[in-house]
Amino acid sequence: MTKNIKIYSTPTCVYCKMAKEFFKKNNVEYTEFNVAEDEKAREEMVQKSQQLGVPVIDIDGKITVGFNESELKKALNL
Amino acid sequence: MEARPASAGRGSPAYNMMYDLVIVGGGPGGAAAGVYAARKKMKVALITESFGGQSVVSAGIENWIGTKSVSGLDFAKMLEEHLRAQEDIDLLQPDLVEKVEKAKNGFTISTKEGKKLETKTILVTTGSSRKKLGVPGEKELDAKGVSYCSTCDAPIFKNKVVAVIGGGNAGLEAVVDLLAYATKVYLLEYGDKLKGDPITQEKIEKDKKVEIILNAQTTKILGDKFVAGFKYKDLKSGQEKELKLDGIFVEIGAVPNISFVKDLVKLSAYGEIAVDHKTQQTSQPGIWAAGDSSDVLYKQNNISAGDAVKAVLNIYETLNKEGGTRGGYTK
Repeated sequence: MTKNIKIYSTPTCVYCKMAKEFFKKNNVEYTEFNVAEDEKAREEMVQKSQQLGVPVIDIDGKITVGFNESELKKALNL
Repeated sequence: MEARPASAGRGSPAYNMMYDLVIVGGGPGGAAAGVYAARKKMKVALITESFGGQSVVSAGIENWIGTKSVSGLDFAKMLEEHLRAQEDIDLLQPDLVEKVEKAKNGFTISTKEGKKLETKTILVTTGSSRKKLGVPGEKELDAKGVSYCSTCDAPIFKNKVVAVIGGGNAGLEAVVDLLAYATKVYLLEYGDKLKGDPITQEKIEKDKKVEIILNAQTTKILGDKFVAGFKYKDLKSGQEKELKLDGIFVEIGAVPNISFVKDLVKLSAYGEIAVDHKTQQTSQPGIWAAGDSSDVLYKQNNISAGDAVKAVLNIYETLNKEGGTRGGYTK
């Protein structure tokens, strides 16, 4: 079943890049929001995660902050 | 061919298997040790959360010998690829060592993912992590305005007022990152002068958005849901002062990641693992350490790699000499 995945990121954030590469490696589709430019997405990210760090990853409404490979694998059943 | 699950590494550890060496950490030290140990045909495993070490967040590493410039992320990939190219090494990644216990012929290692490994020797190359301020509010407001990664989080503070704590190179670079977005950047330093490179100092001193506050000791971070301000003590006057702002970037150095062996090995005054610098042996026979987790004088990628190689060669020699003595230095 395809999951709806969003990642809120900034262009300079290495952990965001790692998360995106992890998705690509595992053929997981995602939508990216650059919160450095997109103010609406930035507000949405803060509201969803109640915090200000990137990346924020939204997997079908389940929010994780930062890039944690073990947690993502579990969330995606990989 | 079915892909091997990354969590199991290159082959899961077999039951009742005794490793010659378990390397803990996947930075330049761990990677160098893994390559050397595999080429020596040692029975070796490497346990790490991720590859690359602390440089992974670096935009460009310009001093890794043989490479003019490489991003931290590519550096991490280079190390990982070099390790995965070895025929016989068990890579347990992502995983984390939680406990090391002495056993009859060596050590038992327990990991976060529930694995147990028996090994004759251990090489600690776990590096260090960011030092925390240790003041009220810091933990509660972590990622709610308190950040340890300016390259990651600076854009979130567009049109906001922020402070950087720490006047070393990392602090100065955080100021530069933030100047692109914030309306005002306070730079606080505990000492009576900034310590970072003069060239960066000059650059930020010229900028009207920067206010440098010396002799400042952070005492408290304020805020309910998000950071709203913070308090510091002026060490000259003894007065406590308060600033209103939205973000605080902490850049005050590093602490070695050694909690899992702290009861087994002798530590330096700075909490690093004390080693014999000729062999990298610790005070505990069977345990070696290299890189930033050790009391090496210079914390550098190249040095970590070199010291870790030194350790593996000494471990190899020690194991061959055996059969019982397993190193350990006395001072």
